Parts: sequence; C-alpha cells; structure tokens
Amino acid sequence: MTAALLAVFIGSSIRLAMPLLLAAIGELISERAGVLNMSIEGMMLAGAFGGAVGAWATGSPSLGLLVGLLAALPVALIQAFLTVVLRANQIVTGLGLNILVLGATTLAYREIFGARSRETIPGFPAWTPPLLGDIPVFGEAVFRQVWLVYAAIVVVILAAFVLRQTAIGIALTAAGDDPRTLERAGLSVEALRFGAILMTGMLAALAGTFLSIGDIHTFTEGMTNGAGYLAIAAVIFGNWTVGRTVVACFVFGAATALQFQLPAIGLDVPNALLIMMPYLLAFLAVAGLVGRQTAPRALATPFRR
Amino acid sequence: MNAPVTDAKSSGALLELDGLTRRFGAFTALSAVDLTIRAGEVHCLLGENGAGKSTLCNLVFGMHPPSEGEMRVEGKPYRPVGPRDALAAGIAMVHQHFSLVDEMSVVDNLMLGRVRGILDRRGWARRLDGLAERYGLALAPFARVGDLSIGERQRVEIVKCLMLEPRLLILDEPTAVLLPDEIRSLLGVCRRVAEEGAAVLLVTHKLAEIREAADRATVLRQGQVAATSEAPAREIERLVRAMIRRDLDTLDSAMAATLGVAEAGPAEKPDKPKPAEIPAGPDVLQIDNISQRDADGATRLNGVTLTLRAGEIVGLAGVEGNGQSELGLILAGLRAPDSGRLFLGEQDLTGRKPTAFTQAGIGIVPEDRHRVGAIVDMSVAENIFLNRTGDFTRFGLLRRQAMYDAAAEMMQRFDVRATGPDARFGRLSGGNQQKAVLARELTAPGLRFLLAAQPTRGLDVGAVEAVYALIREAASRGVAVLLISSELDEVLTVAHRIAVIYRGRIVGERPSDPRHRNAIGAMMAGQAAPEEPAISEKAA
Repeated sequence: MTAALLAVFIGSSIRLAMPLLLAAIGELISERAGVLNMSIEGMMLAGAFGGAVGAWATGSPSLGLLVGLLAALPVALIQAFLTVVLRANQIVTGLGLNILVLGATTLAYREIFGARSRETIPGFPAWTPPLLGDIPVFGEAVFRQVWLVYAAIVVVILAAFVLRQTAIGIALTAAGDDPRTLERAGLSVEALRFGAILMTGMLAALAGTFLSIGDIHTFTEGMTNGAGYLAIAAVIFGNWTVGRTVVACFVFGAATALQFQLPAIGLDVPNALLIMMPYLLAFLAVAGLVGRQTAPRALATPFRR
Repeated sequence: MNAPVTDAKSSGALLELDGLTRRFGAFTALSAVDLTIRAGEVHCLLGENGAGKSTLCNLVFGMHPPSEGEMRVEGKPYRPVGPRDALAAGIAMVHQHFSLVDEMSVVDNLMLGRVRGILDRRGWARRLDGLAERYGLALAPFARVGDLSIGERQRVEIVKCLMLEPRLLILDEPTAVLLPDEIRSLLGVCRRVAEEGAAVLLVTHKLAEIREAADRATVLRQGQVAATSEAPAREIERLVRAMIRRDLDTLDSAMAATLGVAEAGPAEKPDKPKPAEIPAGPDVLQIDNISQRDADGATRLNGVTLTLRAGEIVGLAGVEGNGQSELGLILAGLRAPDSGRLFLGEQDLTGRKPTAFTQAGIGIVPEDRHRVGAIVDMSVAENIFLNRTGDFTRFGLLRRQAMYDAAAEMMQRFDVRATGPDARFGRLSGGNQQKAVLARELTAPGLRFLLAAQPTRGLDVGAVEAVYALIREAASRGVAVLLISSELDEVLTVAHRIAVIYRGRIVGERPSDPRHRNAIGAMMAGQAAPEEPAISEKAA
C-alpha cells in the first residue's frame, strides 16, 4: 500500500467512524445511566431526515442541522417518557420507535420529494484546518473533513471529561449501577435518566445529520441502515468506557473503509465479506468474545422505588 | 450546624413523632406511634422483624409519607417528601442494606449527591482522613467499594452520614452483618457521636447492644409502642417481655439466638434442647479439596474439605462473602468446581447437572429464595411440586385439582399460611415462603443431604423457630444437613459441629458450644483462634 493510499484509507476511516462515534458516545451516556436506548437508530434516522429536509427547504446546511436536532427531539422525548416515566420495557419501546421512524421518514420523504428524489441537498463543505493541511501526502487526505468531524472530537473529549471528573458523571454512573443508592443520596434517578436520553437524542441526531448533509449530501430511505445498532455494539465492544468505545468506532470505521480500499490496491476479497466486517466484529463483541463485559448493573432495568 | 449542646438543651426533644401511622394497602405497618428522641442520646429501637422498625425509620428519612400523624424537628413541623428533605433537616441514615455504589471508589461514593461541577477528589480524601481520625474509622479513599469487606463498607456508610454533621443519625440494624469486634467499634462510634451532641437512633434486636450503648429505648410490637425505658440496661427483661411477650428464661432456642441472649450477660443461657453428641452415622457427603476462582481470577474457594455424616447438622460459620455463596452453588450443582471432587455416599457428583444432584438425594434451601428457590409469580402449590409435576399428570395433562389437594395437605403439615394452594408465592410472607421451600425439599424422595443457606434471613422469630424445627427433624431422620449462616448465634443454636470459613478456606472446626464463641468469632475474622481453656467435650 502506498503512502497516498494509506492516507486516503485513514481519511475515509475517520469520516466513516464519525457518525458512529457521535451516536456511540450518545448511547454510552444513556447506558451509563442504565437505559439501553435501542431507539438510537430511529433518532439517527430522524436527524438525517430532518437535516436533509431543513437544508433543502432553507438552502442552508446550518439551518438543516438545527432542523435535524429538532426532528430527533420527539423520538427522544417519547423514549424517555415511556421508559423513565411509564417504566416500559426499554428494548421493546426502542424497537417500536425505530420501526415508527423508518415508516414516518419514508412516507414523508416520498410526500415531500416525490419525483424530485434526484435533487441534490445543500450540505456542509469539507474544510482543511490551517497547519495540519500542510503536511505532505497526509495533510489533504486525512484532515480535509467536514467541520462536524472536528466538532465530534470536541464532543467526545467533553463527554469523557464530564463522565470522569464531574458530579454529573458519578451521578450518571450511580444511576446505571445502583439507582436506589443514587436516590438515597438525594438525587432523582428519573431526572438523570430523562436527561441522559435527551442527550443521546441530540448526539444521535448530530450523527444523523452528518450522514445526510455532512457526508453524502442526500437522503435515502432508511439511510442509517443499522448504524445505530452498530453504535450500540461499539459501546459493548468498548466495555462502557469512553476510550474503548472510541477505539471500537474507529475499528468499525476502518473495517467499512476497507471495502473501498482493498479493491483499489488490487486485493481480491469478496465484497460481501468486507461489507460484513463491521457487523462480524460487532457480533463478536456482543457475544462477549472480546474481553470481559462489565455492563452497568442496572442496565435496561426500569427503576422502581 | 452542630454546635456543642448544653445540658439544658440536651434534655430537649430533637425529633418528636406524634401519632405516626403508616398503612400499606390494608396492612397497618405503624399505628399511632409517639416517640421522642433527644439530642445527645443513643436511643435504641427494639422489635421483632415486621414490628415496624424499618417503616418508622423510612418515614423519618422521608422515604414514605406517613398516612397519619405528625413529625417535628426541634418543635417545628417536619414533613419530608424525600430523603433530600431529611438530609436538609440534619437527619442521616445508614440503611439495613448498604447504599453504596460498588463500582465506584470510596471518595466518589462520599461525593455522590453532595457536590456540583468538577470533582475535588483530593480535597474529599483529606476530609475523609480528618473524620477517620476523629472517630477511629480508617478507610482507603481511592479503594473500590466492591473490594472492601462488609465491615469496611459499613464504615463508608457511617462516614458518609457523619460528613453531613447530622443532628440525628439513624442506623437500621447495622450490626446484623458485623463481627463481634466490629460491633464493639460501631457502638463506640455511636457513643462518640452522642457525646458530641447529636442523637443516634439505633435499630436492633440484640440485647447486648442495648446493654452496651443505649441511653433510652423504645420497643415496637405489631406497629405500636409496647414499652419505653429510661434505663434500658437495667430493664432488659421488661423490654424483652414487651417485645415478644415472653419471659427471658422461657425463651426457646430460636429466640435466644435471634436476640443474642448468650451475649447479654447475666441472663445467660436459656436451656438448650440441643443434642450435644455428634451422631455417628455413616458418611453421607464428602466435599473433597474443592477450589474455585471467579470471573476475575480471584480465588473464591481454596481447597475446601468437609465430610458430613448421616443425622449430623454441620454449621458453616463465616462472614458473608467468604466463599459460602460459591460453595452453595457447587453443592446445588449449579456450578462445577475448578478442582476437587464431590461425593454423595459412593456416587461422584462432580460436574454433574442439577437434576442428577436432586435425584441423588440432595435438597437445597438456597440463599436467594426469590431468584433460585422459587418462582414468585407461580402459585404455592406449583412451587411446592415444581420438581414433581409428573406425579399429577395423566396423559401428559396436569391435574391441577389433585395437585392443589396434595399441596393443601403439605401446607398444613409444614404450617405454610396462605389464602390457599393457588395463592401467588410472591404474596406470602418470608417465613411462609421459606416453609414452602422446605416442604418441597424435605419431602423429596430419598433425601440424604440438605443444604440450608442462610435459611432464616429476614424471617420473624416464630418462623425462625419453625425452620430450626424442620431442620432438626430432617437430621433426626438421618439426613445430613449443612447450615450456612453468617449469624454465629444461629449455628451455635442449631448445629452439632461448626466449621468456620474464611477467604474460601475452612480455617477451623469446633463442637457447637457457646464456650467456643470467642474462638469461632476470631476465626471468622481471620485471626488464629485464641488460646482457650480446655473444655471437656462431654461437659456440655
């Protein structure tokens, strides 16, 4: 593999890992608080759709981003209301919401765009940061990215800091490991979990808009295509820590990028096998084959007094 | 917030309960309770399980609202709607079950709910050291709570409360899980806190603790105040009568064990109907050099060897978490040991399935009644005949009426009180649930060995006695019984012989005799047994 090809591979790995990373960090926040937020797939799809429609209608990708965030909000609110307030089964509500969002966005897409489905949607341009871009060979290929990529990195660092070094961080951990204790400490399990789900919704929506107006500048029906589930797998793979979840996302991203790179360097690997790669890795992670899993103890358990 | 209290003030009421009543559905847990707690006193709250002690604490701590009645703190109305209000009023509580997050460090647990923004872990570690010095409660600030011993975890709980400089510290049965030494140091902390001017409400049913620490005492029975005492150390007998309506010298062994009478001093030693001679039946169960590691690779059982003879009750004493649970799972066939063998008579059961264990004649009363012992959503009858539904089927169909009839008979024989055989198991009281589990296990055909793991945990005194009687009856039929218990009084009462487990090893064995109490207690704490005067085994 030449240096140029390697640079392209790294660049596209980063680009493909980013939506996954945003969603996985969002999912991590919910799961650390004890909510297995299956509806992340639907949240992403709602964000992607809202972003596309917003950008197309206003002509401004920034307004599109805003619409994307707003579009995921009802999904997050319903998820939070059902699982935290009504204590419904988290997995069932999540799957239900995913199906609902898939149906709703597909219907709305056909209603709004109809025959104009080829229409391009204004998206964010790629941007090269000043000094980094000047690095020979790698500069352009690796660092020329949508600014959302850099925003995502900041978000991840912030999330890690909040989880590790702040009062909210230990409260979230307690909500997921031992909610009863958290309540006895005078904090509200419901408020923390509700807030965590909303936060997940926002990060998932950001991930969704990245897909539609950050990366390929179009919307297709069901375009998240399991990315949300992959984000959940990344959290499991990452053993519910920020650091390892980031690694997992980049592994998944690189596995996806490989699909495009291997043919380019003339390696004849069946394409189907490559497409399967991230899912295979995720499967191994979920099956517990990658190290010992220490999920939050109260994960997916509704809190009852 | 917690200025030294003058004498005049210390006689004043800190917390007053006035006609406090709490109902749960049709059940009245607490009925018109009046109680005054003064600053600077250790106030003991006595009562059997189910007498309403925990309910009272929970009302004061704001976990439930009272149905009727009023509470006042320093004369001002106090109506907490949650623990937050209680904490704001200067009331802190150590719960019966620890409220610590095992996965977090000691300081993180201390800071939970107490800080905002960015964590100052070093500053809190220093505060912890300061408190540790003041009360003699040493703790490693950055240790993970899950790695601490039970005694250390309780220290964290207490420090957590003391950091708030509370005016009232509530301790809900704090000594149930502690070793004798730890109990002594805990009572010392209680005294210290009271001397500094705060009040301590100590919930207990152990007489020795009242003797040692209480300034005043209140007895609850069936949700009502049955007695109060200004000088409880001198009025133990009256308090016991009020608590269980029986005199000290007519206590049966179960009550003596529950109350810790053996420790209580003068009123020592009610007559013990315990057969001291160890029955000399043939060997039934052989645990041969069993070791096991957990998922983290930590050794949980380390070469455990123990032989039980027919008709013998062996008590396995130890502080919880020293390998008893793991041994229980192995004896139930739910887990295979990493090494070592397990024999029932001549039959090698190592690595066999649970059904093989049952067929070979092993009965299990598991530690966790709800998860392993029974299916709470099924009926009592279904639970009693869970392993024998085949007896009630014809052409593959279950004849439910026949099963109910047989269950009704069993329920009468084992005194399981429920609305009927079709009652949901989960609706039964703990004692009746345990009796139903015993009914199933003890009537299994060909029973040769019974494992009873913490069989009386959470039961009231009456049910405790019934469980002991059933265990003894099984032993007299020639069943070998292993009684796993963290209550030293319990094994002393029921067992013929006591083996002590510490960190996954059997560290010693003694005949079951109260005179070995200190030696056994020391072994439970991991110390070598102290030199003890030679006790002739026949003397008992």
